[in-house]
Amino acid sequence: MTSKMKSRWADDEEDAAAEAARKREKEEKKRVKAEKQRKADEAAAQALKAQQQAFADSESTQIEQTELSNRPSKRRKLSPEREDGGEKDLGPGGGVKLLRFPAVGWSKCRSVEDYEKLNDIEEGAYGWVSRARDSATGQVVALKRLKMDNANDGIPVTGLREIQTLMDCEHMNIVRLREVVVGEDRSKIENIFLVLDFLEHDLKTLLEEMPEPFLTSEIKTLLLQLVSGVSYLHNNWILHRDLKTSNLLLNNRGVLKIADFGMARYFGDPPPKMTQLVVTLWYRAPELLLGTERYGTAVDMWSVGCIFGELLTKEPLLQGKNEVDELSKIFELCGIPTEESWPGFRRLPNARSLRLPKNPVSQGSVLRAKFPFLTSSGSELLISLLSLNPGKRPGAKEVLEHGFFREDPKPKNREMFPTFPSKAGQEKRRRRGTPNAPVRGKVGELGAVDFSGIFAGREDEERGGGFSLKLI
Amino acid sequence: MAHLTNPLATPSQLFALSTLNSPLPPDLQASIRYYTAHLTQASGLLLRLPQDITAQANVLLFRYWVVDPLMQWEFSDVSAAVLYTTAKISASPRSLRSITNVYAYLLSPHSQLSYMNEKKDEIAAPDPESYYLSEGEYITFRNRILNIEGQVLNALGFNTHVALPHPLAVTYLQTLDAFSTSKGKQVAKRTVEYLNTALLSPQMLYLTTQPNALATAAVYLAAREEGLKMPEVEWWEVFDVEREELGFLVVGMGSLEPFARKEVERWGVNKGMISREMVRSELEKLGLGNINGDGGKGLVEEEDEETQMARMLDEKVAAVET
Repeated sequence: MTSKMKSRWADDEEDAAAEAARKREKEEKKRVKAEKQRKADEAAAQALKAQQQAFADSESTQIEQTELSNRPSKRRKLSPEREDGGEKDLGPGGGVKLLRFPAVGWSKCRSVEDYEKLNDIEEGAYGWVSRARDSATGQVVALKRLKMDNANDGIPVTGLREIQTLMDCEHMNIVRLREVVVGEDRSKIENIFLVLDFLEHDLKTLLEEMPEPFLTSEIKTLLLQLVSGVSYLHNNWILHRDLKTSNLLLNNRGVLKIADFGMARYFGDPPPKMTQLVVTLWYRAPELLLGTERYGTAVDMWSVGCIFGELLTKEPLLQGKNEVDELSKIFELCGIPTEESWPGFRRLPNARSLRLPKNPVSQGSVLRAKFPFLTSSGSELLISLLSLNPGKRPGAKEVLEHGFFREDPKPKNREMFPTFPSKAGQEKRRRRGTPNAPVRGKVGELGAVDFSGIFAGREDEERGGGFSLKLI
Repeated sequence: MAHLTNPLATPSQLFALSTLNSPLPPDLQASIRYYTAHLTQASGLLLRLPQDITAQANVLLFRYWVVDPLMQWEFSDVSAAVLYTTAKISASPRSLRSITNVYAYLLSPHSQLSYMNEKKDEIAAPDPESYYLSEGEYITFRNRILNIEGQVLNALGFNTHVALPHPLAVTYLQTLDAFSTSKGKQVAKRTVEYLNTALLSPQMLYLTTQPNALATAAVYLAAREEGLKMPEVEWWEVFDVEREELGFLVVGMGSLEPFARKEVERWGVNKGMISREMVRSELEKLGLGNINGDGGKGLVEEEDEETQMARMLDEKVAAVET
């Protein structure tokens, strides 16, 4: 009996049948669903095909018609994943976030007559600069007039390059080119003015006028701003090629801006052949003095090193009288290059005629001795910026991350920066003592130069004997 | 960002083109743009300029003509001036002497430009006399170029920045993994060809669309032509292009061939370049009269004066030499 008695819970045939039916039902549902999906996929594929077909047709009217009649359904089929999202908006991008590029336009230059001249500031190597006021907005700007030196080539390439590079730049530490204006007479475009931000000071004049050099914290703030501007330029494939204190502007709110892009140009990787007649002599890197035709961002970093040194002492670091003298001053300060410290420097055009001391082992850098008050981290930075070998100089980004800027004293807040009376704002300045950037044209040769004597008389140095150069 | 984007013409600027160039009908305006850009391209080749410089010059040329009327200066002079300036600020400048020589040759009646549409063996040997530039002619040509250079820069607000779609297109092809197939190279070649052809487009595609869209459209056309398999999704959205924009560009780029054929029919098989004089007589044929009344005539007279000056200079030079 018990054997006959089935448990209430035991499966019997009925149960099995019911189970099977349920299973069948489920499978059927699945199949229908799959079929539906397949159909949807097919439709999508067809729509894609149809759309490609539509593009294949070069008749614009036809495309317009198909687009007009099919657009809503096609769009939905094309992007099935968006179907459940309900009505898809047909606006730009169709729900997908596409990157839009802001586009500025172009229009004719305004007239210089729209500005009211206030006073002259200076005469630079590439033109006159004066302070002026925008008659419409009342804003005070700097107007820089381009020099039209070589009329046979049209508008000078230096001016055009300055405009070209500056227009592409947008950075707090780079002077902003607001617009270019021209003289009233448009029949011949000869008077061209760059409308730039007006800043009260340039570093060169400031350093000359200051009784005491900047504090270390202030130097750090200035240097950080300079290097972040340089970093922006290099990231955007621009070489400045004339960094020096007189080209660094400072306003009364402690903001430093790099100016004067008359030597600037775009470069590439690998660097193109460029003239070595760049950078004002006192800030010119040794590889340029040795006549290299392929150089890169390291030439700007050398100038940054020179500026660093100048900020520390208020005096330009390497005041050579000419190329040869500059090179000897560099070797005197930074040591004599060797095949180990600067592989391949011997092959540079002007290096062949160099006569260097036979055993330069002991002739290392005297930078540390020259700046005894600099912390070891600071002098390490200065020495690396003034590496003879361009490959060993740090890039702008590395400098920004250097420990020197994190150790005490911390960089001074820009808002806390001291203010100074502005010369540029009120009166004409005297001509300054820095030599100008080299003029385009013939590349001078160093000639055969004997540097072997540089350190020969080092013992006599205290007596003021210095060193001697022999031109052979 | 500046490396990827271009200034674009505003709708009001484009709308004002018909009044700016009145009474030139749109098809004549298109002819002028097409032939002049064509000439710039040919000059770029003869001057051995890198293609990016030539391409930038043509973009600047079209931008200039959005601001100043087409008939203001002789078309070939504007082309020469723009090419000179673009090369000057680039890493490959060209001397005025080379540029004037190349233009003198290309504008001479038997230059290769005039035989673009004929078979090689039918080309007559060019006559050196016809493209020799005397010292006087050189100086007047040079002065015209230098004057127009200033005018062009003034019209552009001295903004000479041009971002080209060519490098972007190659990056896109790499992103689409096109170079893993055997068709990759051919597709890349076609893409670049489409981009260069689009420079001549009377629709001024480079003034109305950003490089990313141009690159995407060229990749689309080239891939379709060469049968390269593309992803079956809206891949152009990855490159920030809408389907409608893509469709418009694809049609625009594709329509250039029939347009060019029509132009050859209109101006003749042997016309490598058209001049203001030809456009003026075409206008008269259309019954639209002389352009701007005195404006056109004044310019003609000015030219005569210049040629006269050139002749006098040449005579003097000859007198000194003998």
